Amino acid sequence: MRSEAVSQGYIARNRQKKLLLVFAFLLLAMMAAVGLSVGASAVGPLDVLESLFRDTGRANTIIWQLRMPRIVMAMLVGFGLGVAGTVFQAILKNPLASPFTLGIGSGAGFGAVVVIIFMRGGLYPQLAAASAFVFSLLSAFFILGIAKMKHASSETMILTGIAQMFLFSALSAFFQYMGTMEQVYEVTFWHFGSLSKAGWREIGFTSLMVLIPFPLLVRRAWDFNLLATGDESALALGVDVERLRMWGVIAASLITAGCICFTGVIGFVGLVAPHIVRMTMGSDHCTLIPASGLVGGLLVLAADILANTVWAPQVIPIGIMTSFIGVPFFFYLLMKRTREYW
Amino acid sequence: MIAAYRVSIAAVLLLQPLCIIAPALGASQNEVVDALGRKVEVVTPVRRIVALNSDAVEVLRILNVQDLIVGVFSQIDADPQFWGDLVNRRKVGSWREPNSEVIVELEPDIVLAYAKTPSPEWEARMAARGIRVLRFELYRIDSLEREVRELGRVLDRKEEAERFCSWHDLWLRRIREKVASVVPRPSVYVESYGDYVSAGPTTGGDQMCVDAGGRNISDVMAIPFPRVTPEWVVAQDPDVVVKAAVSNAKYGAAESGAALNRVRDRIMQRPAWNLIKAVSSGRVHVLDSSIWVGPRAIIGLAYMIQWLHPGLMADLSPEALHKEYLETFQKLPYKGVFVSDPVAGSDGKCP
Repeated sequence: MRSEAVSQGYIARNRQKKLLLVFAFLLLAMMAAVGLSVGASAVGPLDVLESLFRDTGRANTIIWQLRMPRIVMAMLVGFGLGVAGTVFQAILKNPLASPFTLGIGSGAGFGAVVVIIFMRGGLYPQLAAASAFVFSLLSAFFILGIAKMKHASSETMILTGIAQMFLFSALSAFFQYMGTMEQVYEVTFWHFGSLSKAGWREIGFTSLMVLIPFPLLVRRAWDFNLLATGDESALALGVDVERLRMWGVIAASLITAGCICFTGVIGFVGLVAPHIVRMTMGSDHCTLIPASGLVGGLLVLAADILANTVWAPQVIPIGIMTSFIGVPFFFYLLMKRTREYW
Repeated sequence: MIAAYRVSIAAVLLLQPLCIIAPALGASQNEVVDALGRKVEVVTPVRRIVALNSDAVEVLRILNVQDLIVGVFSQIDADPQFWGDLVNRRKVGSWREPNSEVIVELEPDIVLAYAKTPSPEWEARMAARGIRVLRFELYRIDSLEREVRELGRVLDRKEEAERFCSWHDLWLRRIREKVASVVPRPSVYVESYGDYVSAGPTTGGDQMCVDAGGRNISDVMAIPFPRVTPEWVVAQDPDVVVKAAVSNAKYGAAESGAALNRVRDRIMQRPAWNLIKAVSSGRVHVLDSSIWVGPRAIIGLAYMIQWLHPGLMADLSPEALHKEYLETFQKLPYKGVFVSDPVAGSDGKCP
């Protein structure tokens, strides 16, 4: 009798989680529709609808070449950073972990700075993106190398990541110190983050980096759940903890690198999206991973729409705007919560 | 014998105070009005100068006082071809955060800095050591002449300052007179360093656009260097696009405009920018940062007027102007490429 009640409760919770997932997805689609309908030119919702079915000339070009890539990139980057943040928090068992805690964001920033200062990066933005990608992966592999020597303990990984973050930040600052006024301007604007540079080619690459590791991560969701109970328990239940950590870092780093190499630093999403989901839907990674992605997408998309409209025609850099809307929302949830969720 | 001894002692007693007083008698105080409108007292003659930025060093070379420079910004190493012997002067660090200890050690009479960088706190530290900091915006075309004259006066190089200012003023006035009556003014999207970062009001780029007879579409902005959306530029549909690029090329090293042409082509291929008049008519131009703002901004302006109003000043050759500037005021031969090539097939006029 009691076990029946428990299983019914479990089914009801699962149904509720699925409903919340569907709601988040619908909200994301609605937000995308809003994003497609607002912009500097006189192309409204009806034009958007019309352009979905036939070529409307100028409006079509604006929607398919300017607004759509920006919206898709915003969702993709937010989704990727949300998923990567969840994975980092799970494998490191630390609520403060995010792609940036491990120095992967700083690695990407350093890669871009090197190219801008020493290799005429202003003339070759693709080179800056490639360098950002390579350096973010290098920083991930460095953590893996150190962790391998110390049996992949979460403390070692976090400490290595934080040390690496400071090192890359210091190196970036040093190279900026050596740069001219013009180069410093370019570096500053790269660090602010921007979705305007995203075209379909960039989206193609980022989607590969985000959407290929994603299902593999969802498949390991139960392993992440077991890891949350402790390394020993997970080991006892057959999880190869060291291997899971290594694999998780590689997958989440690839996602992060793919997201930020074209857009610049969009921090905070990877940290806050998983917490928002934990507070509302619980800590089961089967739903936590996809839901964090959806919430991350929502955050970046909402930030992008506001960034382009509240102070138009000026654009508030996306990296700044994401924190502007994410932090108050996070505080709101934090104050409202009635139970421990981590 | 005793008399001669007394005379020599008297002479020594008379000469000693003179030896002490004479140098001080030669020195005098000079008041300089800097870019912040402050009146700064400078003891002249100035014998030792530290220049924290490239614009200051370039102006000092215009005034032919490069020998007085004892300390230079560290980034000067990046272009030995342009700066020549000056790269061997003592490096004092970055233009933003110079090394105070090295500067104090150099005992300069004046330090030349930008108006807002380094910080006022750093200046206070220099002032505590008796070092005067003169802040000049030598990169702004509208205040350049006044500041060069002010520097020429305090460095006792009025003639050199006047020679440069007359040359600069002649061309600037001619350009301004010529464009004053030109209507309509083409709309221009002026992009600064960084993609979609426009040159807004109060910037050197905005000033150059107006001087070249253009209407800067970003002059409605609230901040100097706002980021804009590509869609906003498409909606504004500018007649001309001008982009400043940091080519980082060493002086004279660029034998062709290939690098700048690549930037131009990339701009023309931006998504949906084929809808912009400037792109469809091939009126997209890129110029190197060295002639964008700074003492050589007049060269950039000369190029801009050719792009904005082709044929309006047939007697104005930007290359000839650049050559004259380099040979006369910098004692350097003219070499290198500083702007992108015209787009093949474009006549440079509005469609």
